[in-house]
Amino acid sequence: MNVLKVSRWTIAAFILPCLIVYVGLVFVPILVSLYSGLLDWNGIGKSTFIGLDNYVKMFTNDSVFWPSVRRTFTLAGFSMLVQVPVALLVAILITRFVRRPNFLVSSYFLPVILSVAIIGQLWKTIYNPASMGGMINGILTSLGLESWTHSWLTEPKIAIYAIILVSLWQYLGYHILIQFTGIQNIPSEIYEAAKIDGADGFKADRYITLPMVLPILKISIVLSFIGSLQSFDLIMVMTGGGPAHATEVLASHMYNMSFITMKYGYGSAIANVLITMCLIATVLINLLFTRLEKRYN
Amino acid sequence: MSQFASSAGSKPALKVRSRRISPKALIAYLFFGLLLVTQLYPLLWLLIYSLKTNEEILSGSFFALPAQWQWNNYEGAVEGGSYFRYLGNSLFVTVTTMAGVILLSSLAAFAIARFRWKYGQLVMLLFLLGMMIPMQGTLLPLMIIFKNIHILNTHLALILPYMAFQMPIAVFILSGFLRTIPHEIEESAIMDGAGPFRIFRSVILPVSIPPMMTVCILTFINVWNEYILAATFISSERLKTLPFGVYSFVSQYSVNYGAIGAFLVLAALPVIVVYFLLAEKITKGMVAGAVKG
Amino acid sequence: MTKRKMKWFGMAMTGVLAISLSACGGGGSNSTNASGGGASEPAAGGGDGASAENVTITFQNIYPDASDPKNQMLKKIVEQYESEHPNVTIELDSLNTDQQKLKLKTQAASKEVPDITVVNPAAQMQPFVDADLFAPLNDMVEENGLKDTFQSGILDYYTFDGNLYALPDGNNIGVVYYNKKLMEQGGVEVPKTFEEMIEAVKTLKSKGIQPMVIGEKDSWTGSFLFMNILLRTNGGPGFLQDVLDGKKTFEDPAYVEAIEAFQQLVDAGAFQDGATSFDYNSGENLFKTGTAAMYYMGSWATGGIETAEVSKDGNVGVFQFPTVGGKGNPDEFMLAPGSAFAISKNSKHLEETKDFLNYFMLNFPKEAFEVKGAVGIAQNVEGDFKAAGYSDMAMNVLDLFKKVKGGDLAFDNTMNPGTTQAHLSGTQSLFVEKKDAAAVAKELQAAYEDNK
Repeated sequence: MNVLKVSRWTIAAFILPCLIVYVGLVFVPILVSLYSGLLDWNGIGKSTFIGLDNYVKMFTNDSVFWPSVRRTFTLAGFSMLVQVPVALLVAILITRFVRRPNFLVSSYFLPVILSVAIIGQLWKTIYNPASMGGMINGILTSLGLESWTHSWLTEPKIAIYAIILVSLWQYLGYHILIQFTGIQNIPSEIYEAAKIDGADGFKADRYITLPMVLPILKISIVLSFIGSLQSFDLIMVMTGGGPAHATEVLASHMYNMSFITMKYGYGSAIANVLITMCLIATVLINLLFTRLEKRYN
Repeated sequence: MSQFASSAGSKPALKVRSRRISPKALIAYLFFGLLLVTQLYPLLWLLIYSLKTNEEILSGSFFALPAQWQWNNYEGAVEGGSYFRYLGNSLFVTVTTMAGVILLSSLAAFAIARFRWKYGQLVMLLFLLGMMIPMQGTLLPLMIIFKNIHILNTHLALILPYMAFQMPIAVFILSGFLRTIPHEIEESAIMDGAGPFRIFRSVILPVSIPPMMTVCILTFINVWNEYILAATFISSERLKTLPFGVYSFVSQYSVNYGAIGAFLVLAALPVIVVYFLLAEKITKGMVAGAVKG
Repeated sequence: MTKRKMKWFGMAMTGVLAISLSACGGGGSNSTNASGGGASEPAAGGGDGASAENVTITFQNIYPDASDPKNQMLKKIVEQYESEHPNVTIELDSLNTDQQKLKLKTQAASKEVPDITVVNPAAQMQPFVDADLFAPLNDMVEENGLKDTFQSGILDYYTFDGNLYALPDGNNIGVVYYNKKLMEQGGVEVPKTFEEMIEAVKTLKSKGIQPMVIGEKDSWTGSFLFMNILLRTNGGPGFLQDVLDGKKTFEDPAYVEAIEAFQQLVDAGAFQDGATSFDYNSGENLFKTGTAAMYYMGSWATGGIETAEVSKDGNVGVFQFPTVGGKGNPDEFMLAPGSAFAISKNSKHLEETKDFLNYFMLNFPKEAFEVKGAVGIAQNVEGDFKAAGYSDMAMNVLDLFKKVKGGDLAFDNTMNPGTTQAHLSGTQSLFVEKKDAAAVAKELQAAYEDNK
């Protein structure tokens, strides 16, 4: 239980400055967006109130929507189940084997810093057809594996995975950094005590690092989930959602609807669904981790 | 807190358990090395890219070096892209945003994590909700708000939304950290007669450097490359930020790739410098934060 | 040690905050001051009858690249005008095309349109006109004889209910550029019919020469080519208008036939691998670097191609898109009236803005001619192109302009955005999947009805 008992005014002084900026500029727009979702509006001219029609259409009669949802969750799934665990493994290994980890952790973070424009360009040259000097296809060809070459970014079934790989690669360092910081915060007495009890190496990781790092792992998972659901600029740079919507995700679908197809009301409705999904998932992740933490403590 | 003090001292001994390199360690190093190559390669690639001609870039060859190093790409980037003016604007906007985020969110996070009051969780939830808002979705409403408070085409039209969008994650990280601090700290401070503001300033702030650095880095990265809001709310050449420079080489029917590459290098430089400086602080800050009392 | 650290930190923190707060305040007030004289703010105290009131006109444009002749031309005319009108400042908001479109839409939603902005013709500017955002330019275009500088008929694409709302910077047609050397190497002639074109593609392909290239990530490129095929299979222009008038549907044989023809082209291996991941520029660059034999594009590409490596020794030629299945007339072209300058109805300085735009457009042809950007502009140009050093290829393009006997607008200039997007993604899908032409047409018809 928190010990600081303070007056209402004090609370207000601490909370309000932040809350006002936040509510005014993030929350009010959401409310506006909730309302826009009920409109038939091109974003410029007159609008008509159409109730839930946008949502009905989205769920029943939009051939792009459900595949976009599926791809969005595929990305989120890879991010949570592959990227975050790998990052945790790397963070553990770094803590264990590297004496001056700063440089390493910082370097791994580098792709996060670079703008998506450049990441997209780089990976396009990696994925290009061999005739265009593409790296992967070039290597496959020189190994005599021509049958394995693909047009990675334009074959509808493959393209989305090609993009997911880039996304996983780009943000790996982000999660390494977060978890590395988490592991650093575990007091070393605990390890020393465990060593006396015979728990060392990976055994110590299993029984100490993992439970102790759970709260930070949760942060990582939540961030990776939300990040995946909102990711969109990488896709815009690499394929523009194409070919023929084959790499469209929810966020890009929303953007296209709002600003290219000029159905702002419909785009807002997609945004609202996106937000709701994030919300539900965050609650679920929280529940899961509360349970895990209880079990370990 | 005394346990932290001793732990900080003994940490290195724990990490490197033996001097000779075991096979396990060797595999780990190989793995680190491989990862290092893949994660650092983009920077090298970008440097080479920025020194090529348009034709060389578009021919797409992955490993090729430029036939002639095109240093004039940089000239073009600095002049054509108004590099220094945009850099100044970017620095101003980013630093102000960072300072604002740190100040306001740490106050709020402190209240949420340490005050005894009913609605802390509710406010936290409100902030959490904000992490889920896609920025593009707020573009139109923000335009209308800014029009009505007459800050369109000023830096405030960028700083305010940037701050607002960074606050959820900042509050999330900072309050998460503050929860882990033992309550004895405040108890002893209260006994010394300190009020909440003094506790915040002289007890909480100093130990919160590491998470604050994390918040700084995240803010910096998100704000530095932001373009959609900037392009929409800023019209005056005088006020534009760095990403404008990048896109100023994209015309209707042609793209000046070499200059874009050069500009991206110049734009990324400050981020990399700031990042490596702060990254140093993170680990240092962590030890400093632990050694107290 | 720790105490000192805390103290230092406290000081640093307050210092940083003080600086940033004051800087913030300063920046804020600076910029408000500055924009106080700007177009986005009401001209405070301007009612005192001051004759040469200072005026700032915001000019949103899509010429951001300083190395682009259009940007240099823009700056030159603006500087001239400013020196002749010392009380007027032109604030250039130069953005790339996509960003400008997004920005204008957002601004339009809150009725904050800049004094001068850029719109696309016909159907694409309709929503803005419907929302009553632009000032009619009927009287302005009469002044100084500006109207007569425009090619006849071009202004119709920007006229709604008798009101002219925008002045175009370009007027282009769809042509096929070809690399003479590669065609020769492949042993193929300039195709006279679409069927010959398919054969030429196959021959070139078999000899290891890339027959055609396209930047289909920007899906309008494929659509532009497709529409030219449709212009032929329909036996003349007006198909989309007929659909709009309810006389035809997208399931009409002309449209289905066009899809089939387009598919033949794709199946023959005309386009480069991974075409849908190439954006407009990287696609065009393949032609500019001499890797491809043919390239279908609007004549706006002329300037870029004639200065590229591939054009050395007059190596690039142009030809008209041929007949398809014996149908159509090659003298009918895809018409691409360009992006155009419109003036905000709510401009605080409407008269000054009109005066400036009038001046700008009057000087446009002359300046464009000088920077060799006069092929495909919307105004009549006086001057000897040949003597001014325009290439043979540019001259060929200019000759094609003389042959134009009507044609069609691009899909997005005729149909609403919803239908357009369905069409674009339908066409894009032809690049990657074998599809039943009738099914593609049916899908589009459904989307059209849905978006009506």
